[in-house]
Amino acid sequence: MIRLEDVAVRVGGFRLEQITIEVPPGGYGLVIGPTGSGKTTLLEAIAGHVPLEAGQVHLRGKNVSRTPPESRRVGFVYQQYLLFPHLTVGDNIGYGIRDSGAGHREARIRELAQMLGLAPLLGRGVTGLSGGEQQRVALARALAPRPSILLLDEPFAAVDPATRRVLRQQLRALHEREGVTTLQVTHDFEDAMRLGDVVAVLAEGRIAQAGAPEEVFRYPKSPFVAEFLGSGTVLRGRVERLTPEHRAEGRFAGRFRSGALTLEVVAEREGDVYAVLRPADLMVSRTPTVGPAPRNRFTARIVRVERGSAVANVYLDVQGTALVAAVTTATAEELRLAAGEEISVAVKATAVHLI
Amino acid sequence: MALWFLAALLVLFVAGPLARLLLQASPASLGAAFRDPELFASIWLTALAATGATILSLLLGVPLAYLLARVPFPGRRLVAGLVELPVVVPHPVAGIALLLFLGRQSAVGQVLARVGLEVVNRVPGIVAGMLFVSAPIVVSAAREAFRSVDPRLERVARTLGDTGWHAFRRVTLPLAGRSVVAGAVLGWARSVSEFGSIVILTYNPKVASVLIYDRFTLFGLSAAVPAAVILLLLALVVFVVVQLLQSDGTARQ
Repeated sequence: MIRLEDVAVRVGGFRLEQITIEVPPGGYGLVIGPTGSGKTTLLEAIAGHVPLEAGQVHLRGKNVSRTPPESRRVGFVYQQYLLFPHLTVGDNIGYGIRDSGAGHREARIRELAQMLGLAPLLGRGVTGLSGGEQQRVALARALAPRPSILLLDEPFAAVDPATRRVLRQQLRALHEREGVTTLQVTHDFEDAMRLGDVVAVLAEGRIAQAGAPEEVFRYPKSPFVAEFLGSGTVLRGRVERLTPEHRAEGRFAGRFRSGALTLEVVAEREGDVYAVLRPADLMVSRTPTVGPAPRNRFTARIVRVERGSAVANVYLDVQGTALVAAVTTATAEELRLAAGEEISVAVKATAVHLI
Repeated sequence: MALWFLAALLVLFVAGPLARLLLQASPASLGAAFRDPELFASIWLTALAATGATILSLLLGVPLAYLLARVPFPGRRLVAGLVELPVVVPHPVAGIALLLFLGRQSAVGQVLARVGLEVVNRVPGIVAGMLFVSAPIVVSAAREAFRSVDPRLERVARTLGDTGWHAFRRVTLPLAGRSVVAGAVLGWARSVSEFGSIVILTYNPKVASVLIYDRFTLFGLSAAVPAAVILLLLALVVFVVVQLLQSDGTARQ
C-alpha cells in the first residue's frame, strides 16, 4: 500500500502541495501531469531521496516519512534507466539482492531475466544495450530484491511505440505476478487507461482530480483536466434553467449556450460553466434521422477529416464554434465525409458533461 | 601555413630544452649520479614526502571534493575558489605564508612542535609545502570526477538497500576512482617538482629540486645536470602513467 497524506515537497523553484494519493495493496496507481510538473520529485520523496516539507508518506501501512531510502524497500526505475555502467547486466539486476545463500541470487537473476527476455544478455556490459533492453534491465534490477512497492518514472517515454506496447504488457504481467504495489508517473494518459486502477492528475503543484481512470476521463472536474486528458472539446458558456423543479440527484433540465451553439443539457446549477463534449458522443449523419432519441441536433461544416487506423477524427465548425467528433474509419468512408461539406450532428443531453 | 609555423615554434620550445637536457647527461655521469649517496637519499626523501603529501591530500581532499561536487552548502563557491587559490600564489610566497602559520613563533607551530611535528628544517615542512601546492590538483580532479557521475546512480543504489557509504563505495568510487587516481598521480608529480616553498621551509634535509639548485649555485651547471636528468626521467614516467590512466578512462565511455 502507498498512501501520501498532504505531502508537500520543493521542486526547483516551486512546490508540490497537498498531495494526497492512495494506492491499495497490489494496486497500480498513476500520477499524470505535464512535463516539468514535479512528478519525478514526488517519486523521489516517496523513495526517501527528497525531504518532505509537510505531510506523511505511508508504505505498507507504516509511516516512513523519516526512514532512510535503504530501509523503505522500494523499487525505483528512473526514466533514464541509470544502469550502473561499471557492471554487467547480470550484476546490475543482482545489485540489490542481499540473500546470497545457496545460489538464491543467481536463481532470482535468472528468473527475472527469463521473464523479461534478458537471459542472453546477462554477461554483457550495459553500454551497448538498446533503450528497451535498458528499460527491462532497470525494471528487473528494481524488482530483484522483491520490494513490495515499485515506483516508475515515465517508464515508456524513451522507447518506440512497438516496444512500448510490449513493455506495457510485460509490466502488467510482472505487476500481477510479483503482487507489487506500483505507482507510475507519466504524461501519457494512454498508460493510465491501460494500466491504472487509480489515477491522479497533477496540475500546478496540486492534485486536480483523482479516481478510477475511466471516471476521471469521462467526468473531468476542471477544464484543465478535460483538456490535458483529451476528454473532449471544452466549451465555455452559460446554463439557463428550463424546468423549475429539481429532478433526481439535484439535477434539472437546462439550456447551455456557447456562441452560436445551444444544447439541451442536464445541469446541477445555473450560470457560467464549461461543457465537455466527448468526440465519441457526437453522432454525425448525412440526414437528420427521425425518431425520439437525441434532443440536440444541429448542422456543422466539416473543416478537416483525420483518418487513423480505426478511428477518424472529424473537425467541425458550428458557426464559429470548433468541435471534434470521432467516428469509425468505416463510417467515415461510408458517409464519404470530406472537408467543406455540411453534416448533421446529434448529441444526447445526458452526454454533455458540465463542469 | 603561419598557423602550423607558430604551433611548431611552441612545441619546439617545450621539447627542445628537455631533449637537450637528456642529451647532455653522459652515461658515465649518470652512472656516477646513481652511485651518489646524497642524490639517492634526496630522491628517496622527495618520493617519500610526496607520497605522504598525496596520501594526506587524498584523505582530506576527497571528502571535500565530494561535498563540493554533490552537496549545495552556503559558501560552496567561496570554498571552491579558496582551494584553488594556491595555484596562483607564487611558491616562495606560499613558503613564507606557511612559515608564518606553522613556524615556531606561531600558535599552530607550537602545538605541532609539541606532538613532534616541527616544520622548519624538518621533513614535515617538506610535506607541508608539497601539500599546499598539490592539494588543489587532487581536489579539483576528484571534484570533476564525482561531478561526472550522475548522483541519481547513488539514489538507485540506496533504494536497492545500500547505505550512503555503501552506495558511494559500490557505485561512485568505482566510476570516479580512475580519475581520482590520475589526479593523485598528478598531485604527486607536482609535489616532487615543488621547490619554491620547500626551499624556504626546509632547506635541509634537501629534496631533489633543492639539491639541484644547491649544486648549481655551488658547483655550476655540469654538477647539477645528472640530478636534473634523473628528476626529468621520473617526471616522464609519471606523465606516461597519467596519460594511460586518462586515456583508458575515456575509452571506456
